[in-house]
Amino acid sequence: MDFFSFVEGPLLWLAFLIFIIGSLIRAAMFLSVSTKKDKIIYQHFSWKYVFATLVRWILPLNKDLAKNPVFSILGYIFHICLIIVPIWYASHITLWEESRFEWSWSSIPDEMADWMTLIFLAIVIFFLLRRIFSADIRLISTFSDYLLLIVTALPFLTGYFLTHGTLDSIGFLGDNMQLLHMLSAELMLILIPFTKLSHYILFFFSRGASGVEFGRRGYSI
Amino acid sequence: MSQEIMEFLKPRMGARFRMWLNICAHCGLCANTCHYYTANDNDPKMIPSYKVRFLKEILRKKGKVDKDYLQRVYDTVYYECNMCRRCTLYCPFAIDIALMISLLRALLFSQGIAPEGLVKAIENYKEFGNQMAVTDEDWVETVKWCEEEMAEELEGLKIPIDKKGAKMLYTVNAREPMFYPQDMMEVAKIFHVAGEDYTYCSKPGWDDTNLSMFCGDLKTSRMIVENTFKRADELEVEQVAITE
Ligand code: HEM
Ligand code: HEM
Ligand code: SF4
Ligand code: SF4
Repeated sequence: MDFFSFVEGPLLWLAFLIFIIGSLIRAAMFLSVSTKKDKIIYQHFSWKYVFATLVRWILPLNKDLAKNPVFSILGYIFHICLIIVPIWYASHITLWEESRFEWSWSSIPDEMADWMTLIFLAIVIFFLLRRIFSADIRLISTFSDYLLLIVTALPFLTGYFLTHGTLDSIGFLGDNMQLLHMLSAELMLILIPFTKLSHYILFFFSRGASGVEFGRRGYSI
Repeated sequence: MSQEIMEFLKPRMGARFRMWLNICAHCGLCANTCHYYTANDNDPKMIPSYKVRFLKEILRKKGKVDKDYLQRVYDTVYYECNMCRRCTLYCPFAIDIALMISLLRALLFSQGIAPEGLVKAIENYKEFGNQMAVTDEDWVETVKWCEEEMAEELEGLKIPIDKKGAKMLYTVNAREPMFYPQDMMEVAKIFHVAGEDYTYCSKPGWDDTNLSMFCGDLKTSRMIVENTFKRADELEVEQVAITE
């Protein structure tokens, strides 16, 4: 098996499995440790507060919009692109159709995927510049904050190069863009459970736990 | 010392603490929600997320930190955060910075590091059941004296002590009998005129401050609250009123 087939086959499987199982383990670990060491959450548990706080923060109905409108709105757009493009991009869906699962669902127009990719990349650049040039954010940024921002952006960057043949004239890069795209996507998927990117699932537990704690005291949640 | 630090932290590192240290996006949305940040000309060192870096560091170093380091932790957790929890209201993950600061204060307390005034108050709570070291006799005498003084002004005024079945157990800050008995007198006047059915208790439980909480000394905190509940049960009151 050549390297390409490996990346296209076994490594892709591995990446998806690590992503899915790793995420489930993160969630399970939180549940099992918290039932022993964070009993307060369960003693006062209320779906009402959990639900209320999740709705307010998944939808743009929260306090940050007024306090930090620019960053909040960019944060929302960032995540919308990040979730919509890989799942509803037509060529990706074609790959699922051709796979052993033969799954299929409707797609977004290619032009829209293009724009969302560019917008996403622009926001990443803004986030990076902000980390580098804002004294506040620079102080709290760690190496992994920069790295993960780039790791998240690479599948978009390589995906865009791939569809547009932007770098096709540059020998190695031109010939291997699909390989690079798959590798970057796999790297991202693999890193999710082990890094702060696990927030995509722990978000629900963190907000939920604090929602219970703050809600019962009548604070805003 | 590193072993003691880890022994203290391990059983207390709940799932939430670990999760929060892990998922904080270092996005800085909490920065301008902290009054220490805004009051210090937007000093980046006052960003809530930055203040809890100590917890992450101590865990990473497996507790191997020296006295100087703990002193720096002390300066931050006591003088740069008052555990008000406002930042949590604006954090997209609702990360409870104050809870982590409280854990760090508790860690320092376990290593004998805490503000002198709080340490003294904790000794007093343990020995006398109140932060000002007022003895039971002095306390009852003060209440009686207040009653006598006020009865001159408002005829028939009584300040009930240990009145079983009263509607409300009324508690005070222990500084009141020590330094501001006039506050207790004013309250007595209001209750008298309003015809409120209340009572003080003669035994520990009447001080409603809980300064040990500020050191993360949860054992003493618990004792203080339990005292009040015990008195409330004994006196069969319906409510406990606290002045603070
Ligand atoms: C339901 C899913 C998700 C939720 C609720 C969520 C929530 C958040 C929140 C609240 C932040 C902090 C600041 C901001 O608003 O930008 C954030 C930042 C971030 N998220 Fe997500 N996220 C989700 C999924 C993901 C996924 C799947 C990834 C990537 C694999 C991701 C990558 C990032 C990155 C890289 C940042 C940091 C941006 C920066 O450096 O400032 N998120 N996310
Ligand atoms: C590992 C599995 C993945 C495979 C095999 C894959 C495959 C592909 C292929 C073949 C294309 C180009 C299609 C064409 O030339 O018409 C593409 C484009 C793209 N992919 Fe992926 N992809 C994967 C994961 C991801 C992930 C995880 C993301 C984002 C987080 C992503 C983002 C994109 C983007 C943004 C484009 C270009 C869209 C545009 O410019 O219109 N891909 N992908
Ligand atoms: S707002 Fe929350 S996630 Fe962002 S830096 Fe502050 S504590 Fe971390
Ligand atoms: S809890 Fe501490 S860090 Fe957060 S806003 Fe209050 S003082 Fe600032």
